[in-house]
Amino acid sequence: MNPDDQALSRQIKDHGTRYTAPDSLRAGLRAHLALATALRPEPPAPATRWARWRARWAALPQQSAWRHSLAGFAAGALVVGTLLPVVNHLRWDEPQEAELVSNHVRALQIGPLTEVVSTDRHTVKPWFQGKLDYAPPVMDLSPEGFALLGGRIEHLRGNVVATLAYARNRHMIDLYVWPSATKSVQVQATRRGYNVLHWSDGAMQYWAVSDLDRRELEHFTQLWRERVAAQ
Amino acid sequence: MNDRQAFEDRVLPHLDAAYNLARWLLRSEQNAEDAVQDAVIRALRYGHALRDGDAKPWLLGIVRNTCFTLLARARNGPDLVEFDDEAFQSQIQQAAPAEHGNPEDVLQRQRTRVRVDAAIRALSPALREVIVLREFEDLAYDDMARIIGIPIGTVMSRLSRARDKLRQALSVDPQGQ
Repeated sequence: MNPDDQALSRQIKDHGTRYTAPDSLRAGLRAHLALATALRPEPPAPATRWARWRARWAALPQQSAWRHSLAGFAAGALVVGTLLPVVNHLRWDEPQEAELVSNHVRALQIGPLTEVVSTDRHTVKPWFQGKLDYAPPVMDLSPEGFALLGGRIEHLRGNVVATLAYARNRHMIDLYVWPSATKSVQVQATRRGYNVLHWSDGAMQYWAVSDLDRRELEHFTQLWRERVAAQ
Repeated sequence: MNDRQAFEDRVLPHLDAAYNLARWLLRSEQNAEDAVQDAVIRALRYGHALRDGDAKPWLLGIVRNTCFTLLARARNGPDLVEFDDEAFQSQIQQAAPAEHGNPEDVLQRQRTRVRVDAAIRALSPALREVIVLREFEDLAYDDMARIIGIPIGTVMSRLSRARDKLRQALSVDPQGQ
């Protein structure tokens, strides 16, 4: 550090204003933290489906043949036993479009749309380090008119999901990325006027949500797929 | 409960630093307060990402990103951040602690404070943040690089650009030393 810099540092430290947090902020945060801990939702009980079946069986008239009900119960248990993991798997693997649209809308309304703000993918990608247990691909499509705005982390169904924000003119696109080995079918949907496109490349699965029109969003996902394939 | 206590113990001591950064970046008291609140709540959500590291740069990184998101939005839409320079000026006067001594000295010190603050305020947000992090928060270059998400070399070059600008701004009036 040269003497000039030292003098300047001194001047800033001695004369610049270092603001201190107002008491209202401190008190508000303590209250919020206490409340957040108290209100933290319990993880959903995994046995609801099971319990519902049992309740249904218990509600059957006593006259129905004892053996039948036992057999039926066993069959029911078998069906639940085989279906539950499948259904759970589906639920974990593919959050419904509606939830993603809600998330996207909330990010636009309340924010933050981006926790790391950068148009440089070499800034956005490393930002996810240590925050996720996977490294999501980040592509810069600004030459094609889809400007990278940055990224953020979302919690969806208990999963930590990398979210990339892009802009096309005034339209925002959220791209949700998380790992999945299954190559799922492509999904197209419209929810509350938002288009949702989904694809998967066997390593990651992608959900793009935007109010862009379908064709442009498809163009975006097409470019993405080409970029990932070219890597 | 213990988690929360641990979080409070590690994060809340850095609230002044968090607020100072937000206040300098957003330039309005209310926006700074909102941004810090927002950032701490988010920090709580990602508390597991903190592990053993130093909580200060970690928290400042979240605050910083929250502020830049707000700034970016203020640029895109007119509805979020309003800059109130006059309120800011009066804030500066208020913020100055009551000083004792020769009234002339006190006045001179206040003038210097206004000039130094104004020079920092005139910097672009990217340069302002390196000055705030370095000069007020005494952060190391590598912590700053992690907070801002840029290479250390860029931190150094921004810092030197910011210092040049400050020196220039402060040297206009030779009285203000």
